[in-house]
Amino acid sequence: MNAPHTAAPQRIDTLALAETPEGIVLSLQPAGLVARTLAFLLDLLIRLAINLVVLMVLSALGRLGGGLALIAFFCVEWLYPIVFELTRGGATPGKGVMGLRVVMDTGLPITPAGSFIRNLLRVADFLPFGYAFGIVTMLLNREFKRLGDLAAGTLVVHAKQVVLHDAPPDAASIAPARALSLSERAAIRAWAGRARRLTPARFEELAQIAAPVLPPVQPGDPKRSTAERLLGVAQWLMGSRG
Amino acid sequence: MRVEGLAVVLRPRSQSEACDLGLAMVRAQAASVWRCFAPVFLAVAALALCTVDLRGWLPMLIIFWLKPWLDRTLLFVMSRAVFGQATRWSDLWQARRQVFGGQFLRTLLWRRFSPWRAYTQPVEQLEGQRGGARRKRVSLMLNENRGAATGLQTAFVHAEAVLGYGLVALLWWFAPENRNAGVWDWFFHPGAHEAGELARDLVFSVSYMAVVLFLEPFYVAAGFAMYLNRRVALEAWDIEQEFRRAFA
Repeated sequence: MNAPHTAAPQRIDTLALAETPEGIVLSLQPAGLVARTLAFLLDLLIRLAINLVVLMVLSALGRLGGGLALIAFFCVEWLYPIVFELTRGGATPGKGVMGLRVVMDTGLPITPAGSFIRNLLRVADFLPFGYAFGIVTMLLNREFKRLGDLAAGTLVVHAKQVVLHDAPPDAASIAPARALSLSERAAIRAWAGRARRLTPARFEELAQIAAPVLPPVQPGDPKRSTAERLLGVAQWLMGSRG
Repeated sequence: MRVEGLAVVLRPRSQSEACDLGLAMVRAQAASVWRCFAPVFLAVAALALCTVDLRGWLPMLIIFWLKPWLDRTLLFVMSRAVFGQATRWSDLWQARRQVFGGQFLRTLLWRRFSPWRAYTQPVEQLEGQRGGARRKRVSLMLNENRGAATGLQTAFVHAEAVLGYGLVALLWWFAPENRNAGVWDWFFHPGAHEAGELARDLVFSVSYMAVVLFLEPFYVAAGFAMYLNRRVALEAWDIEQEFRRAFA
């Protein structure tokens, strides 16, 4: 299907592939150090705020309140990620803001066992200071897993897709000069969807690269730029035969 | 730039996912990265350590201050790694004028305090723009991306601090059971201990340098990948890559 690869055989990407029992290959987008550090810092601030409120409320109770506050701190520290991961679609509030989610290696929703293991092992990731082991394993692991993720078989993924294209502009449909492969069709449609984001000059420049798929211009045809004609091919690919 | 020759897959990514691509690039070309970076860095580090007698914190400050200059070597290696090319010391030496020289004032003063220097470094070093053209270009790159670029800096500042403290903490951890308190006291009151102040300053400086040697390549590569990702959004490089592979 694909055009012959002339460059290096394996191009660098960060995708993790997971195969379902039905034989469908899902590609997950594991999240690395930067997104996860920012999510962690947000969660840390939220936890601190909760602790502060708890402390203010319980301090009215004197020494009993102090004891209760310590128990509450313990629960906030340990249950906060587990509760959110199991109830809010696998994301603590910090992860939610950064568009992250925790899933199993298989792409399935996180299981209670997975969540407990990955969060209990924060103790190991924390060593020797401030999640230093976690940071190093995340930098060196291909799927950006920290020790807890390795043990639990979980993966933190980018859940939001970035979309750069919108609906392609209208054009009179033109049949391409030859049959197009799946990836070629996808490329032409992605190009057509960027019409509003690119400068007209850049849009035309890209169309020139794909000019070989355009049929030769007939004598009676109206005069149109390469971009307009390639937009016609995009319309044809999307089913318009006008 | 031959977009079709890129050894990375371009597709629309969020800027934080682009950072991850940078980390993957470092892992793919780890040998080239540290082969070229380590000699430069160790030479600078050795010179910096000579100043430990003047002030205990001076070696760390020198390394910290020279980081934007040290990053130039790394970006040179990454700019080749992105095409799947390995870099040897001889390649770096041939390009020494372009890599080590030029833009000294900007590198050592202005860029040192920039919160997004890794992200804008390719504009300065690889595109070679100057004056007004560079300012316009940088502001175009930063448009809507200041938050993401600052996020990169924030994450790596934290990582660097944590790893630095972590290395020092290891010393305390591995001290014999009954001497831990002594190690702790040595950190804060070195004069009262046999090991003394010089040894403490050396331990701190060398820990910091080890962390920079390990972490800086990831930081520069992440910024570079964010730059590539911005060009995907601005100039549809991902589509050019697909078109050239399919039709050219």
